[in-house]
Amino acid sequence: MSKPQVMHYSPQVGDSSDSRSDHGSFDIAIIGAGPAGMSAAITASELGASVVILDDKARAGGQIYRNVSESPLDKPESLGEDYLYGRELIERFQHCSAKKIYQATVWHVGDNGEVLFTQDKATRSLSARELLICPGAMERPFPVPGWHLPGVMSAGSAQVMLKSDGLVCDDAVFVGSGPLLYLIVAQYLRLGVRVKALVDTTPRDNYIHSVQQLPGALSKPNMLTKGLQLLNEIRKSGTPVYRHVTDVRIDSQDPENSDRVSGLRFTCSGKPELLAVGQVFLHQGVIPNLNMSRALNLQHHWCEQQLCWKPTLNQWGQSSIASISVAGDGSGIVGAEGAEHMGRIAALNQATRLGVISENERDQQAADSLQRLATLNRFRRFIDRLYQPAEEFRLPEDDSTVVCRCEEQTLGKLKYGFSQGARGPNELKGLTRCGMGPCQGRQCGHTITELLAKWRGDSVDQVGYYRMRSPMRLLNLTELSRFSRIEPDSTEKSVVKEAAKITVESAVESTREKTGAA
Amino acid sequence: MKADVIIIGAGIQGCSTAYNLAKAGVKVLVLEKDWASRHASGVNAGGVRVLGRHVSEVELSKASMDLWLNLDNELEADTGFRSRSLVNIAADEADMDTLYARQQQMHELGHAHEKIIDQQELRERLPHVAPHCVGGVVAEKDGYAIPYKSTFAFRNAAKRLGAQFLEGQAVQQIRKVGSSWLVNTQDSTFEAEHLVNCAGAWADKVSVMIGDNTPMSYSAPMLMITTRMPHFATPVVGAVSRPLSFKQFENGTVLIGGGSKGFADRDHNRTRLDYSKLAIGAKNAVEFFPIMQTASVNRMWSGLEAYLPDNIPVIGPSVNADNAYHAFGFSAHGFQMGPIVGQVMAELVLTGKSRFDLSAFRVDRFERKVL
Repeated sequence: MSKPQVMHYSPQVGDSSDSRSDHGSFDIAIIGAGPAGMSAAITASELGASVVILDDKARAGGQIYRNVSESPLDKPESLGEDYLYGRELIERFQHCSAKKIYQATVWHVGDNGEVLFTQDKATRSLSARELLICPGAMERPFPVPGWHLPGVMSAGSAQVMLKSDGLVCDDAVFVGSGPLLYLIVAQYLRLGVRVKALVDTTPRDNYIHSVQQLPGALSKPNMLTKGLQLLNEIRKSGTPVYRHVTDVRIDSQDPENSDRVSGLRFTCSGKPELLAVGQVFLHQGVIPNLNMSRALNLQHHWCEQQLCWKPTLNQWGQSSIASISVAGDGSGIVGAEGAEHMGRIAALNQATRLGVISENERDQQAADSLQRLATLNRFRRFIDRLYQPAEEFRLPEDDSTVVCRCEEQTLGKLKYGFSQGARGPNELKGLTRCGMGPCQGRQCGHTITELLAKWRGDSVDQVGYYRMRSPMRLLNLTELSRFSRIEPDSTEKSVVKEAAKITVESAVESTREKTGAA
Repeated sequence: MKADVIIIGAGIQGCSTAYNLAKAGVKVLVLEKDWASRHASGVNAGGVRVLGRHVSEVELSKASMDLWLNLDNELEADTGFRSRSLVNIAADEADMDTLYARQQQMHELGHAHEKIIDQQELRERLPHVAPHCVGGVVAEKDGYAIPYKSTFAFRNAAKRLGAQFLEGQAVQQIRKVGSSWLVNTQDSTFEAEHLVNCAGAWADKVSVMIGDNTPMSYSAPMLMITTRMPHFATPVVGAVSRPLSFKQFENGTVLIGGGSKGFADRDHNRTRLDYSKLAIGAKNAVEFFPIMQTASVNRMWSGLEAYLPDNIPVIGPSVNADNAYHAFGFSAHGFQMGPIVGQVMAELVLTGKSRFDLSAFRVDRFERKVL
């Protein structure tokens, strides 16, 4: 890493992007070192671009390949072959020439190519001509009564604890739907952890509707059966599995004082059930993590297939701001394999924009990845339909259900705000404080926009989303007061000037050819 | 559509004016290009202060403070107003000299609401203040309110009294035909005998359409707020000569302001923050209150606000047209004045006069009359 050069921040920063690139901009800055970011860094740096990649963890890999290179588990094989595949990708990434900055909490990204982050208790800044943001996915909120109680966590956090610290929890109940839920239950069982029950909320109708997407899914037969295999594995272990469950409600001894969870109620085959339980893990699929793309004010649209907001991108992952691209699950759920292809595609396009390769070269080199991505997307349509969460689990019905957890705003309070005239998410935020807490609406943003659309009788696109504010992560006041800037080393020269030279030469060349031809 | 009065802009000044006119039985129409409280009125620091006001503003500001004390009852709403006192901290003896000079000036004008305090009293009022601070000045009634809720409270009270609010209506053209003002938006034409310009950061455009030039500018004052902290400061806090201003709300969050400005992109309704200046604000906060070293910033933002060269607003009638009035350019301290400005504007519309001396706020005060 280069020695950070301390400099005073010019107040004109942001007014002129050109004046910045003269003192040490990178060609490409990539935020997030998961499959998309790693693959983009490999691609762009092999082409000779100066690349910097930042991640808030101590190692590369993202959520999916978290700690695969340094697993705390005796037998990481039990986590499955997909997890182990990550090792190879991480190895290639570690050998590429991109500058890697770990434990860097990016809290602001500007449309002028400015990246601000905290590291070592100080704020650092860098800038780049092209930005590639790979913010990944987050678990879809599961706003059922009692989901905010102590003892209720997301299944994703169970997996994080497992991958990072080798921590597990006996006799938990897993509630929800989707391949990731089945995967974590299977991982638990393989490690010999007792699971009290799997409560599957996938609606019966989904199996019927998803059949229409089956032809597309047949292009990936091994992936098609993966979810079913996992479900089989869970049943064979003797773990009770309740299917097509509705009316989920989490109880505690004293809900007023947010006591720890004590029981789980639900309806299965028309019969009410009650399980005594001390730990519940919830999961109903993943959605793009929007805070960064929203803070950048990129154009977004509502995706009916995945029931989530997505940044609006062209086939190269380029957003409504040409110098900013998005790849991986942050662009819409594509999975680890899809993310890797998207990262490569976006990097090739950015290399073209930087003048490193021609459009023809880009098209040739990207052809294979574009085709594989298309195949994966056909399969994705099936999976999205099969595990589409029911409305009752996306839009709470009980007035006492908490919607915004940070500010403890219940459905009832939001309804009151709406009745007072708050028609959009930002007005509702101003009136009720929903979305104002530390998560900045990551948890409640989707629920709020869908609720407002329902109440107004408008489309979700018409309702819109929260206006996001920096910092994207909590920022310590002392860290903010310490500023420095990171620039490329002299060995990491920008390709742009070189490329410009080549472009001029080839232009002269082609003029000569034309003259010769004439 | 016809009304008695058209108000342009549904910020706190426009909503308060609408409320006071509707209360007097006047048919009011408010045209708002975005939605009520979208800009400075909804996202400002919420300071409700008389302390340190420009001498021309003191009478209005004091009258407004009396209204704030009873505003929740009056509007039948929750504005979040809390009277907590405001302390401006003196960091050194030079600051104290500034305070003594100000006090003398205020006493000569007959004002006694600002009281100088010594180091000991400063500590009693703010136990966590840094030891190097030598004293300060306090105004007891001052405090804060929640901007969005306050503006909404005026809007809803006005609506209950029959005022009509049309949002998403950007004014494109204003004409005077006979004794009527005709106001065109993208959707329709509206007509009224009287026109009130409360268009905030866009008020210069409206002013020119009415026929008054104004050297108004606009900017983007920046704010940041922390996550919840243990309670450590009851009064609102400012500093005599440093860009420091903060308040701790009842939920424990601390709002840090100080007036430093980001970049305003008025044409796109957007602002961009200047993080280097926010870093200086962070440094000041930590320097004056070491307890804030561990504070976590949750959000940073700015809003579009109108300024005039002398940092006091335009309040009063148009000089070039009959039956048109202005209230804009509050230069980042208009929120507290909202309640009284609404009364003043209603008086002007109904009687053509005001009980306050508005000469310092004339729209033509920057024009050179003699060459």
